[in-house]
Amino acid sequence: MAQSPLVLTNVTKRFGGFTAVRGLSLDVPEGRIIGFLGPNGAGKSTSLRVSLGVIPPDEGEVRLFGAAPNILSLRRVGFLPEERGLYKKMTARDTIAYFGRLKGLGAAAAKARANELMDSTGLGEFRNTRVSKLSKGMAQKVQILSTLAHKPDFLILDEPFSGLDPVNQQVLEDLIREEHARGATILFSTHVMEHAERLCDRIVMMARGRKVFDGTLPEAFATLDKGASLEVEPGFDLAAALAPKGFEAHRAADRGHGDAWRIALPKGAGPQDALRAAIEAGAPITGFAPDEARLRDVFVSLVGEAEAAALDDPPAEREEGVPAE
Amino acid sequence: MRNIYLIFRRDYLGYVKAWGFWLSLAAVPALMLVGSLFALFAAQSSPIRYYTVIEPGKVFAEAIDAEFARSEAAAMAQEIAGQMQLPEGAAQNGAMQSLRERKFIEVPPPAEDIDGLRPYLLGERLVFGPQGDKPLFAALILSADGKTLEYWSDDVSINSLRYEAQDAVRRLARKHALEAAGLDPDFIQNADDAAVDVPARRIRTVAEQASAGAEVTLADKAPVYVAGALAYFLWLMVFSIIQYLLMGTIEERSNKIFDTLLTSVRMPELLAGKLLAVFAVTSTMMLVWGLFTLSGSAFLASQVPGAGDMIAPFLSTAASPQILLPALVSFVLGYIMYGMIFMALGSLCDTIQEAQTLLSPMMILLMLPMFAIFIAFQDPGSPVVDVATWVPVFTPFLLILRMPHDPPMWEVALQMGLMVVTTLAVLWVSVRVYRAGAVNGASIGDLGKMLKGMGWKKAG
Repeated sequence: MAQSPLVLTNVTKRFGGFTAVRGLSLDVPEGRIIGFLGPNGAGKSTSLRVSLGVIPPDEGEVRLFGAAPNILSLRRVGFLPEERGLYKKMTARDTIAYFGRLKGLGAAAAKARANELMDSTGLGEFRNTRVSKLSKGMAQKVQILSTLAHKPDFLILDEPFSGLDPVNQQVLEDLIREEHARGATILFSTHVMEHAERLCDRIVMMARGRKVFDGTLPEAFATLDKGASLEVEPGFDLAAALAPKGFEAHRAADRGHGDAWRIALPKGAGPQDALRAAIEAGAPITGFAPDEARLRDVFVSLVGEAEAAALDDPPAEREEGVPAE
Repeated sequence: MRNIYLIFRRDYLGYVKAWGFWLSLAAVPALMLVGSLFALFAAQSSPIRYYTVIEPGKVFAEAIDAEFARSEAAAMAQEIAGQMQLPEGAAQNGAMQSLRERKFIEVPPPAEDIDGLRPYLLGERLVFGPQGDKPLFAALILSADGKTLEYWSDDVSINSLRYEAQDAVRRLARKHALEAAGLDPDFIQNADDAAVDVPARRIRTVAEQASAGAEVTLADKAPVYVAGALAYFLWLMVFSIIQYLLMGTIEERSNKIFDTLLTSVRMPELLAGKLLAVFAVTSTMMLVWGLFTLSGSAFLASQVPGAGDMIAPFLSTAASPQILLPALVSFVLGYIMYGMIFMALGSLCDTIQEAQTLLSPMMILLMLPMFAIFIAFQDPGSPVVDVATWVPVFTPFLLILRMPHDPPMWEVALQMGLMVVTTLAVLWVSVRVYRAGAVNGASIGDLGKMLKGMGWKKAG
């Protein structure tokens, strides 16, 4: 059986009187892409920093490649911190090569790898440009490439899409897929659920320092009540028509040209069953749409609308002594 | 070791590629060169000034002239031939003598009283003398009762002529008084010549004295000068690292790069690499400055007879284990101790402005050893120095300074041990402060809380 790159057992981390992470247990299996989701302050960054031994847990145990985080196990990890930083006076290529060397690459290999990564991501012409002269997006790409320089077995990316424009977000998604195809295990945190939906085969949701969900995407969607939307001509009572067939309908809105109804699906029934029942009941249907479940809906159903609203906030700067999430 | 080397290499190259490094590197030799040239120029370009003496006869004028001659002879004989150990006759070297060229020349009075001299003293009229026409710089006028020799000049900030005149008047008065008492002038001169000299002698064992003699030579004084130079050198090095360690750490904190580094290297490796890099930067500077000084000395040795003999005792003293070993220990431990303090404090600052609030107390902390060095250099046996040597922040500097005076071995060993313990304690605290600042974002305001005890752990 393959060894999990990362296993957290009942990890708790406090900062003074503030508990950033409460009893987090997590097993990151080899070869997966795991999304670590949650709003600011959920405990994501603290969990990742604890996982890497940057800060010690107050309680619980961290196993990175089967041992407490140490310099050898960390060499197999590529870490992109939430708070990005590079040496501004170094050139882009030297930066990537330098971090590659710190992870064990030889001088020539690190330089060659830096050139390869920069060429493949469209940064080739900037290899001798100082970081201070690069745009914010390009500098961020340089940092991401620094994380990949030594071809790590395990990539931990903290809010990797933050600050990237849509084009570069797509470049990063492609890079993540390439690294995954190479065999790397990837754990990334984000407060943007769409990235997780597109990339992850497993998600972990955090809220207020606690894990609120850990499973696959289908498992996540399965937690939602399913439903469908039907539009009928004005005046038709869809609720009365569907009640005998076991469907509950609520008027959602008067659209002028017709009424919109929301139908809750009983267990085992699908949206098509609701449509069929409406046709059989003689409803004058003008529109139909099955529910499209989103991860955000899953999160709302798990922690409530107020907590989920924080998902829309950008990542915060780290406060004194209290890491941002 | 590889990670330490990589951190060291990046930081070192980062520092030496900055223009500020080259500016600092060039600044000291440039200042030395400009300073030397300025001093030489000032000495050689100092103008010849005319003065006159109004008196019945030439008694005071001759006395002042004789006083100038006496001062010149004493300076040449004692300062050059005596203290600098130059070979006999070297004091009469032309180049040296030119520096001692008389800057005041007596001219006949162009008027008989101060009102008549006024336009000459104010530069409105010129007097003729050996150097051509010039304003009259000063006039010495004997009062009618003969009791006062007034010194008149437009520039009263230059006093050397007045001091020479005072000495001349005193000497003259003594001579007149003794003559009035019936003593023969030759007898007075003989009495002056018969005065017992007080030469310094160095006490040595009989065997040593048989080979080295008892005369005090430069080799006897060299240990004190070398120890003083080494203590000052250490102080200068510590002073120089403040900006590098403080600003370097602030830059990394503001760059938010610590998390990335700490998932690649251990904290001790990171700190060691950084300390070594700054040590290498300052060492590079000192090396270049030292080479510049040595080149200057070699040039001096080739140009000035006896200068090579003067340099040799200093070099042999600097290489002696009695000085070198404690100096090395003090250098290494002193550097680590102060370096870690600055680095830890830098890790708590986000901006240069925050760091500037720290600079004042740091400067005061650094001026204290400087005062201690000064006191120890003046009086190494002072009880103040004895006590101060046991204060850890002073020990690295004062231990070096005390070595030429043969302190008891147990004291030296104990003070070295104290330095080791202090350095370890500083390391222990500094690493934790650094971790709190660099990793957990603690600020300078949290310092008190951190140092109180374990509060820092909670804050971080």
